Amino acid sequence: MEQTLFIFGVNHRTAAVGVRERLAYADDEIVEALSRLKRRAPSVTESALLSTCNRVEVIAVTADPARAAQEASEFFADDRAVEASAFVPALYRYDARAAARHLFRVASSLDSMVVGEAQILGQMKVAYAQAAAAGSAGLVLHRAFHKAFSVAKRVRKATLVGHGAVSVSSAAVSLAGKIFDTLSDKTVMLMGAGKMAEMTARSLKRLGIESLLITSRTFDNAFALARELGGTAVPFDNYKPYLKLADIVIGSLAVTRPVLTPEEFETVVRERRYRPMFLIDLGVPRNFDERLNTTENVYLYDIDDLSSVVLESREEREREAQKAESIVELEVDSFMKWLEGLDLVPAIKDIRSSIEQLRDGELARHRVWLAGLEPEARQQIEALTRGIVNKLLHRILSGLREGPAADGLYTAEIARRLLSTAGTDAVALPGDGEDDEDL
Amino acid sequence: MNPIWYLPALLCYGLASARFLFDHTTRAGRRSITATALLGAGVMLQTGNLAVSGVQAGTVPVTNFAQSLAFLAWLTALAGLGLILRFRMAVIGAYVAPIVCVVLTVAAVMMRHGRMVVPEGLRSAWLPVHVTLAFLGYALFVLAAAVSILYLVYEQRLKAKRPLGPADERAPSLEKLDRVNYLLLGWGFVMLSLAIVTGAIWADATWGHFWTWEPQESWSLIIWLLYAALLESRLTVGWRGHRAATLTIAVFTVLVGSFLGVSLVNPGKHGGSFG
Repeated sequence: MEQTLFIFGVNHRTAAVGVRERLAYADDEIVEALSRLKRRAPSVTESALLSTCNRVEVIAVTADPARAAQEASEFFADDRAVEASAFVPALYRYDARAAARHLFRVASSLDSMVVGEAQILGQMKVAYAQAAAAGSAGLVLHRAFHKAFSVAKRVRKATLVGHGAVSVSSAAVSLAGKIFDTLSDKTVMLMGAGKMAEMTARSLKRLGIESLLITSRTFDNAFALARELGGTAVPFDNYKPYLKLADIVIGSLAVTRPVLTPEEFETVVRERRYRPMFLIDLGVPRNFDERLNTTENVYLYDIDDLSSVVLESREEREREAQKAESIVELEVDSFMKWLEGLDLVPAIKDIRSSIEQLRDGELARHRVWLAGLEPEARQQIEALTRGIVNKLLHRILSGLREGPAADGLYTAEIARRLLSTAGTDAVALPGDGEDDEDL
Repeated sequence: MNPIWYLPALLCYGLASARFLFDHTTRAGRRSITATALLGAGVMLQTGNLAVSGVQAGTVPVTNFAQSLAFLAWLTALAGLGLILRFRMAVIGAYVAPIVCVVLTVAAVMMRHGRMVVPEGLRSAWLPVHVTLAFLGYALFVLAAAVSILYLVYEQRLKAKRPLGPADERAPSLEKLDRVNYLLLGWGFVMLSLAIVTGAIWADATWGHFWTWEPQESWSLIIWLLYAALLESRLTVGWRGHRAATLTIAVFTVLVGSFLGVSLVNPGKHGGSFG
């Protein structure tokens, strides 16, 4: 059966943070998880695991997507010890063309919480490297990931989509400049040590902020970031007394409901003697109750507000997203064309004819000498060389048919290229060509 | 003096207002150099007018309500110009220049022809000091109210999460507007206090008593107390930003009411006629 791309998982839109957290893998667990997946899901021939704060996805190759989905969801339920009912309703599944589109959209950050943020590409490269390390990535995944990276690069170059995310932190900085006259005497507090929060804090530091407080569920994370940025870590269970010191608060905690009620906040404002406060909410779901914006001298912006502040208009943003989508669509076409053309039969035919050609060539080169031989001796030489060719072909072919089908395809591709006299234009393999620039 | 002589200054203020408003609402010329220059030209031309009236009056030209308004307009324009140059807040011109323009227009319309003279009995070295301090105080309160309105406008934009346009690039921050408001209130308060003190000393020297509870004196005291309370609330409870701006505007409306009321209804010896 034909091998096809298959994606299966949950993301920030389909699953609450609680569900995503339970399914998520730490970086150092992934290689082992992939080998467990290999054992548990025999219908899956290639696989990679992308696990970030916002998504947990299996990117796989299978001949039977329905069975693969079944096996993968059973694997998740067991491996993460989560009852299926908790995450199955939130699962999405993409096959073939839809899967390629999804993979490319994720890489290009079109599926991100903050559309255009560049972090996802790095996370995807890590996922690819882990799949390669686990030996679970084969010909199709190699090609798919490399293609995804180059699509992401094209989107970033050709559209302003990436602009939007860079501007989340720059919007925060511009707005801070509209609220505060000088930043050097202000204090920033990070609640949650996420990447976006860190980026924003760095931009603010460049503009002169000196005092930085960091709190995080995991004190070690807060402490590490505080050391890196030159701030002070604050224990998460006792951060509230520090809140009144903060002129700018950047929230990026994974929470199910806002961490501060307007009533609690009223006290903070009074303790601050009504000095203005700028709350930047980078969390999804929101960290801060939106009613805080109506509190006196308090200005609350969430990610959507921030990106709408910088890009001139909604139409402009939609136009850029549209451009990106059409780039993705073009690349999906070319990837699918490649995938559909991928088969063992033509590869074998190529290999056979390459070897036959080799033999014919040798016989032709020596035809003068052969013509001078006895007919019997000539027949023996013919049989001898044919025997060598057949033995060689048999070995190669049985080698290709062993193991997962996709591995065979990959090996066949290598064999075909090694033997090919016509050059190397057939199929690009990982490790060569333009797709590599991003790695 | 013929009010027609105020026309050149008025024209400059009018053009300055138009230009400031244009700069304020579009992306062009955010530093408003032309508008500021026009405002400066208006101030210089009006200085000439005031000098002529002053020579005629024999002292500061505040012999009637119209002249007082013209004098107030001049001080407001002058202080506004200082504010724009000192704090690089050209945008405040969009508020100050139109106010000056309206006040001076009203003054010019009400202005009577001929020579206005301060009666012999009131000519004293205290007169220019007292009057200038009082009007300077008022001018600073006008600016404080303008800055407060601007504060509320900008604050509204931030709360409503309006996209930042190129015109916002040079917009002053809320913190700065709040600080400038505080400075203006503080200095206005100092001027008003000194005006009251010099007025009392002068009254004592002329009539033998410091305070007579005539309407202008009573209202000045009320205004003084209101501004004192406004400054006090900032220093003790920390009322600033939105609340300070709203209160500044509220107290200013009381000031305008009392100024108009006292001047037009029951001027006492503070009226232009010096009755």
